[in-house]
Amino acid sequence: CDFDLNQSPITEKESSNFFKSEIEIEEAVYGVYGALRSNGVYELGIPVIGEISSDNTFDEVPANDGGNYGELDEFTVIPSNSVIASIWKDSYVAIQRANVVLNRIGDIPFKDEYVKQNRIGEMKFLRGLLYFNLVRIYGDVPLIIEETTDVNAAFGVERAAVSEVYNQIIQDLKAAIEVLPLDGGADGRAEKGAAQALLAKVHLTLKDYANAKQLLDQVQSSGQYGLLESGNDIFAIANKGNREVMFAVKFESGINGNSMGSSIFRMCTPSGYYASGKGHNIPTEQLYSLYEDGDLRKESYVKHVEGIYYVSGKMDAPTTVPDDAGNDFVVLRFADVLLMSAEVENELGNTALAAEMLNKVRQRSGASEVLADGQVTLRSTIAAERQMELVGEGHRWFDLLRTGQAIEVMNKHFAERGQNIVVDQDNLLMPIPQSQIDADPVLNQNPGY
Amino acid sequence: SATNLTSIDIYQEAEIGKNSLKSILDKLKAKFQVNFAYMEEVNDQVLVQMPESNDLTQVLESLSSQTGYSFQLMGKSVLITLSKSGDESKKIIPVKGQVTDENGEAIIGAAVKVKGTNTGTITDISGNFELGVPSQSAILIVSFVGYQAKEVKIGNQTSFAIQLKEDAKQLEEVVVIGYGKQSKTRVTGAISSVKSEDLSKYTAGSFDQQLVGKMSGVMVSENAAAPGQDAQIVIRGTSTLTAGTNPLIVVDGMPLSEGTSLNDIPASSIASVDVLKDAASAAIYGSRASNGVILITTKKGSKGRAQLSFDYYTGIQQSAGGIEFANAYESARYFTHARDYGYVSKDPANRSEIDDVATRKANGASKREFRLNYLEPYLNGEEGLTDTNWSDELLRSAPVSNYSLSLNGGNDKTDYFANVSYFDQEGIVLTSGQQRYNANVSLRSKLSDRVEFGVNLNAAYTKVNDLKVGGFDEDPINMLWATYPFFSPYNEDGSLNIGAQHQANGPEDGALLENPVAMLENTKRVENRFRTFGNAYMQLELLKNLVYKTSVGTDFSSNHYDYFSPNTIGAYRQPFPNKQAKSWEKNSHYFNYLFEHIMTYANSFGDHDINLMAGATMQREDGVSTSVSGTGIADNNIDNIAGASSFGVTSDRYAWTQISYLARVQYYYKNRYQLSVAARRDGSSRFGDNTKWAVFPSISGGWIISEETFFPKQDFLTYLKLRANWGMTGNNQIGSYGSKALVTSSDYVMNGTLQPGFAATTAPNPNLSWETNTSSNFGFDVQLLSKVNFSVNYYQSTTTDLLLSVPVPEHSGYSKSLQNVGSMRNKGFELELNAVELNAGEFTFGFNANLTTNQNEILSLAPGQEQILTGYNSSFLTEVGGPLAQMIGYKVTGVYKDQESIEATPHLKGTIPGDYMVEDVNGDGIINADDKVALGTYEPKLFYGFGANMSYRNFDLSFAFNGIEGRKIFDQPVMQANTGEGFAVPTKDYVNNYYHPEFNPDGKYAQPNMGNFSSARKNTRGNSMDVLDADYLRLRNIQLAYKLPEAVLTKLNLSAARVYVAANNPLTFTKYAGANPDGKVTANLEQGSVNAIPHPVVKSYMVGMNLTF
Repeated sequence: CDFDLNQSPITEKESSNFFKSEIEIEEAVYGVYGALRSNGVYELGIPVIGEISSDNTFDEVPANDGGNYGELDEFTVIPSNSVIASIWKDSYVAIQRANVVLNRIGDIPFKDEYVKQNRIGEMKFLRGLLYFNLVRIYGDVPLIIEETTDVNAAFGVERAAVSEVYNQIIQDLKAAIEVLPLDGGADGRAEKGAAQALLAKVHLTLKDYANAKQLLDQVQSSGQYGLLESGNDIFAIANKGNREVMFAVKFESGINGNSMGSSIFRMCTPSGYYASGKGHNIPTEQLYSLYEDGDLRKESYVKHVEGIYYVSGKMDAPTTVPDDAGNDFVVLRFADVLLMSAEVENELGNTALAAEMLNKVRQRSGASEVLADGQVTLRSTIAAERQMELVGEGHRWFDLLRTGQAIEVMNKHFAERGQNIVVDQDNLLMPIPQSQIDADPVLNQNPGY
Repeated sequence: SATNLTSIDIYQEAEIGKNSLKSILDKLKAKFQVNFAYMEEVNDQVLVQMPESNDLTQVLESLSSQTGYSFQLMGKSVLITLSKSGDESKKIIPVKGQVTDENGEAIIGAAVKVKGTNTGTITDISGNFELGVPSQSAILIVSFVGYQAKEVKIGNQTSFAIQLKEDAKQLEEVVVIGYGKQSKTRVTGAISSVKSEDLSKYTAGSFDQQLVGKMSGVMVSENAAAPGQDAQIVIRGTSTLTAGTNPLIVVDGMPLSEGTSLNDIPASSIASVDVLKDAASAAIYGSRASNGVILITTKKGSKGRAQLSFDYYTGIQQSAGGIEFANAYESARYFTHARDYGYVSKDPANRSEIDDVATRKANGASKREFRLNYLEPYLNGEEGLTDTNWSDELLRSAPVSNYSLSLNGGNDKTDYFANVSYFDQEGIVLTSGQQRYNANVSLRSKLSDRVEFGVNLNAAYTKVNDLKVGGFDEDPINMLWATYPFFSPYNEDGSLNIGAQHQANGPEDGALLENPVAMLENTKRVENRFRTFGNAYMQLELLKNLVYKTSVGTDFSSNHYDYFSPNTIGAYRQPFPNKQAKSWEKNSHYFNYLFEHIMTYANSFGDHDINLMAGATMQREDGVSTSVSGTGIADNNIDNIAGASSFGVTSDRYAWTQISYLARVQYYYKNRYQLSVAARRDGSSRFGDNTKWAVFPSISGGWIISEETFFPKQDFLTYLKLRANWGMTGNNQIGSYGSKALVTSSDYVMNGTLQPGFAATTAPNPNLSWETNTSSNFGFDVQLLSKVNFSVNYYQSTTTDLLLSVPVPEHSGYSKSLQNVGSMRNKGFELELNAVELNAGEFTFGFNANLTTNQNEILSLAPGQEQILTGYNSSFLTEVGGPLAQMIGYKVTGVYKDQESIEATPHLKGTIPGDYMVEDVNGDGIINADDKVALGTYEPKLFYGFGANMSYRNFDLSFAFNGIEGRKIFDQPVMQANTGEGFAVPTKDYVNNYYHPEFNPDGKYAQPNMGNFSSARKNTRGNSMDVLDADYLRLRNIQLAYKLPEAVLTKLNLSAARVYVAANNPLTFTKYAGANPDGKVTANLEQGSVNAIPHPVVKSYMVGMNLTF
């Protein structure tokens, strides 16, 4: 009989015995990627906030699911909103995991030092991406870039200023670009082009067009990426890892006990279209009519369904269980790079080049060519093109914030839909989750909540 | 004839202050310098109390009256003979007889004495005695410890059948303490005891239900009243914030697995339940004792001829509570109001409630802003429309029966008790129920005068048709809040009505649940449990008074849960036929074993009695569980996971070990000064590397003032004892690996293949250790008129180093961290009163009552942390200086009727007319969380029980009440029904009292408003109207019994027979609007939160009988 008082977990690994070898560090790296799949990050939280809050869509039943999605749609978000809470929580879980790898990997010998440097780059890329989401959603946020070894040290940490957070994001992404390979080697790993495109987007957000241009040019000249012939193929489950996708969060249906799929299809699709649908993110008629006739994206990216509905064509219905959709969530793709390029060139005054970039994207869909008819006009053409091309990919709300159009566009959107909703400056940042202020009142709330 | 008492009995009896005659004589020999000579018929093993006198004559008289022997002093020698005094050698009449107890059991060793003489004897193994009496006018006095002495006139009779009644005083009762027994007069801790006779007045499958209201300090909540579920027992208040609250359950010395199911211990096999409530009593169980210890003693055999008894009852159960929902017509009006106002209130200037669907659509209305398409006939008041009361459809009158057969007997070497029972219960909710088969055996045997061995074995097999599985759409009771009364459970042809709500409600997104009756009838949710536990021991008398006992105990449990939901029914938002079939299976078992070595020494030295105990125990538990969920089920032919094509598997295993050393000294001087000191040292695998071991000491004292010479002997105050004690206990219920930082899986897919990912998911804490509970207890015991016993305890217990799962800022990467921080205190009074056998002719009467107050205060939390705010809408506040899980919310002062009054008063952002007006408590002109007020706690201010029993001739009647005062519950299902949001079915109360400008301008509840449910309305959820008063007084049981008379028994060849009718919970007095005022969630920090409609408490009506052959 064994009465030893030292008993170790049997079906779980113990932290103190882990992170000791290359294999275990690789497992920890997958664990960071795994955190991207969580509900508050790319399974639901980020796509939902990027779309529902925007003018792309409306909520079929805002009150459903405790009103947590409807609040985003109708700008009645309260600090206990569960979507807001899970984005915060799951993003920081992922950040801590990346911090753990970064903290531990230094002492672990790898067979190939190059791989080790790649992993460091991947972690910094992911950390930069996560903070980029947080800073755009909440504004000032606590900036944690060290592994938490004593949780009590987290008490008393105040929110860092937006500029400080951006400095860290830029630093992380630059470091990632240094060490990431051109080709990540596996479908799903971060690679140099993704880091460049992301940093370009950060610069674009900060209106640093020169730096953005440099990075976007590098991506285009790398030869790693291109537009697919048909927009439909980008998101097809059968066509994962295609050359247009620069970084995607991976989901897979029907494996590991149906645990590797996502719930986004179920949450966003109308109940009249999919049996378990929650209808939180239905494209509006106004969005549908943006596409000119002959634009292949009409009936493809946004499909008209008999009755009142328009649905996104970028996702496939799960065939196993309702929360097991198999589409990847595309975070960065080449069309986005071209459209960012167009925007940068336009802002730098190169309108002809801007129109050229724009038309590359439009040509694929059979949409008519646009002309370089002045910076101001082109600015709104590019914005509309981004809306049409990137619909459903969680960009629109952030684009509106970035370009300062959110208040104007949203109020127009609600007026057109007959909804008596007014958006103001306070609505542009989401509240800090109430649970966090309850846990440590040193975190102050954003104005208006 | 002599009784053959063994070392074991000596050991046990020595506990209550007696020693063998021989050992007493040895002491007297030294004390008085005399020799004792005795004839061979004298039994030197007879137990006597050491006479206290210094006068040899008085001492000998005392011994004579205790033993019935004659003691003749002759110079320096004393001659002891059997019942013959030298000067009484006149004519002797020989008489004989048998002494039995009320159950007809022989009493061995009873003293039979001729009144006024020294003549006497004691009864033998069969309870028989023979004695010579001097005359027919002589009187026999028959006495035995724990029984009332009886006087019998001789007359011309020479053969006597004498029955002794158990002593009403109860002071001589023996109670079970940890690792031993003790006379009640020597108990210095706070221990409550109940015997099986009192328990069985409440006919129930499981003893936890029988304990309700029986003991002070022990609060039993039937929060899960479905068949096969356990009640929750909290002893002297919740003493932990986030660790487990389960008391330690010890059956015949075997500490069972933590959180063990009490349902596996059949009530019919229990002889007594003793609860160690204070740290001084419980410290001997160390690190597992801070939630109290429940000691269960199963029935044992007794010497005498084999006796077979059969107990049976059968009855009908019904629901004793529930939420009163509105009917279909009321609901139709409400849903229409809610949807109309939801639509209009979004843009009152441009919208009207008379707008039709097309207009509403054109105005951008969402689905829930349309009226439900099928309500028109209801609104028009057409008669005879479907109006289903779903509670009535789901609930039923359900039969329950219990059969129990016991065999009991023994001889002077061996005794045995065996019981088999079958408990068959249908649940009051359709399809639920349990069938349980139990067998238990107890065997004790003496291999020699010095060696005894024994075995206790219990086995239970239970099949439970369960109710709860996963989400709210699979819990039929909870589905009630969103199942509309406009639909029928059955079609006209009697078949189940499938998917009706989906079809009708789809266009407007009303409730989209499946018919709960169809859901129950079609799903399989069966749990099979097998449990066996028990122990075996060997006891050796190594030296005189020194006993070594070694035992091995085991507790094995195996569970299999089988779930299947076919595709022939829908589920929430998954209408038939789109829902996929799904299956799930869980297999789990654990094995717990214990080795124990205990050494006991008991002896008397003049006025000094001493009991010493020391021991070591080692215990280990290993557990395994595997659960498999299956999907991709092609058809419903195989109704288990074997029919699936895609599987999700989780596997969990654990082990924990504990090593303990324990010791206790009990010392009594003149029996009236009592001192007990105990300590246990525990080492546990559950704790951090730096803190594996800890010591739990205790000290307690008692003083029986009424035994003092200065205390006036009187008839009124017949007993008075003071008690005081102090002790420490621990709580180790943090799971097996709570101190470890764990790495758990977080997989990813790359290149289309699954990549095993791992991440640290819990924060490490190598210093994690026990929660320590330090408590003191002061009490006194009083007896009046030798009949009425009264006990009072005041206790104060402080838990330090709370095992607190501290909510930490999530930017740490974790949400919670388990730490030993903070402290809390419980204090209160306990009163127990009982009186037995108050006689008035043939009428006897007894009563009992108990009352407990408890006050809980948080003394400190994590460093720098002043409060923990958690639960629904941050409604549960645990702050320093306040009680555990205080509910807080806005204080509603009315309903806003127009925009002007909103503007004119401080209000929450987003407030619209129809919302609640709440009080600006701090008067700062702003309504925010600072304006929330305290609304009470789940922990009641006091709880109590009282009852009585009376008998007249062969009839006896008994009843018991229990009640709770000062409890509040935040009942979220009721809140949902009362918010006016328009998804849930409203309560009757709400539909009659909601504000509506035309329908009810004076309504007290917020206006129904679906679709535009404002942020202000959401923020005021959990307000002063949502936290409900849950006080109740319940007639727990009432029973009328009739004992068949002797004449009939003889005819039927029975030795005893009793028939009865009984009712459990027939009456409940409460204002509570929820389903069950005992309902609660398990999280202590949110206790008081009811987040799903609980299974109602069950009331039942029974007939039964007890036959002894």
